[in-house]
Amino acid sequence: MAKKVLNVEDDADIRTFVTTVLEENGYIPIMAIDGAEGMEKVRKERPDLIILDILMPRESGIKMYHELKLDPSLKDIPIVMLSGVSKRTFIRSQAALTEFGDETVPEPQAYLEKPVEPEDLAETLKKILG
Amino acid sequence: MKITKILFVSEFEELWLDALQSLMVLRKAGMNDVVFLHVIHRDKVAMRRGAGYLKQEERKLREIADIRFIDWAETLYEEGMEVVAHIAIGNIVPKILSVTEIEGVDLIITARRKRAKLEELYAGSETSDLLRRTVKPVLIYNYLSQSGKVGENPFERLLLGLDWSESSEKVLDYVLALKGAVKRVDIVNVISEKDIAKLSKMETHKLERGNKKRLDEVCDVLIKEKFDARPHLYIGNTEEQIQKGASEHRATMIVLGAKRKSVWKEKWSGSVSHSLADKSELPILIIPTEIK
Repeated sequence: MAKKVLNVEDDADIRTFVTTVLEENGYIPIMAIDGAEGMEKVRKERPDLIILDILMPRESGIKMYHELKLDPSLKDIPIVMLSGVSKRTFIRSQAALTEFGDETVPEPQAYLEKPVEPEDLAETLKKILG
Repeated sequence: MKITKILFVSEFEELWLDALQSLMVLRKAGMNDVVFLHVIHRDKVAMRRGAGYLKQEERKLREIADIRFIDWAETLYEEGMEVVAHIAIGNIVPKILSVTEIEGVDLIITARRKRAKLEELYAGSETSDLLRRTVKPVLIYNYLSQSGKVGENPFERLLLGLDWSESSEKVLDYVLALKGAVKRVDIVNVISEKDIAKLSKMETHKLERGNKKRLDEVCDVLIKEKFDARPHLYIGNTEEQIQKGASEHRATMIVLGAKRKSVWKEKWSGSVSHSLADKSELPILIIPTEIK
């Protein structure tokens, strides 16, 4: 059975790009346009993997990532970060949230900085989902 | 009343990183969320004869805004703050109002916005339009020049203008919520020349005494909350006296309340807060009466 991949991204052009890559590689794409909608879709659809942007309306990918990793029922869903925000900033931001009393969270399965080539994205998904 | 989420509206020509950094002092007052908003004016991408809708131009402008916001957001993320962003196409005031609603912000930060002369004549400035339509406090930055710099902490020394209207209480509550970010508050009440024109000397003294007493009461509330507060009573033109007071006490920001009025009512009766929002060289914080 084809695996479901949730893409949380506010940029319509990138959503189209990711959808194309997902469909061409046999995955079922699910879309969310911001972090708040992303959380709703995760709970409703239980995707096999999440591709997550960072700077979006309503809820950032930084906060959504942290929430997912602290939720026992969702923490095992693999996450691929796909953002213009650098990996170094992402790691530091997660550490900063820990300083404010949250628990430590693991690093994402993959971190891709925009722009990404379709082959690189497909290869990353294949490595994680098989 | 708490200030946990701010909306930072920037067109990148008028509100820069130094203004954003200066607001980080609000973290001491509980602020942890920043919402960025950039509005691409419809005219910049609208249909052109022979070219249609300028989709490529829209993409370029969105990309420019996105890169700038990422640069600003990275610093804030690393400090453990939550940052979200909206890049929209349309008219600035309606977009500010809708994002304010969607994100539930406690304070709107924007630069002074002017319109074309003719439009401004009948509709007022965009700043006035925003002040008329929002129920959220608005902080307006007015850069003195293109190379102007914003002070490190605009909340350091507040000039708090009170007129004993129903908005005064809201203004005081809001200032109390800024505890931690504010060092000194100079509270000013202005008795207008019009108010005393028909009063006898005795009545004038009585009015002065009453207003001084009220100023002292407000001062006591602030001192009790560990603010350094001083009362000042002036007589004259309210707008001029507030500006003079701000300069005399080296204020870094003016704080005023505002009643909502229609465009025409405002044209007839005027509004000190709206007028100062368009003129003041200092950042000015306007708190509406119907604050939500």
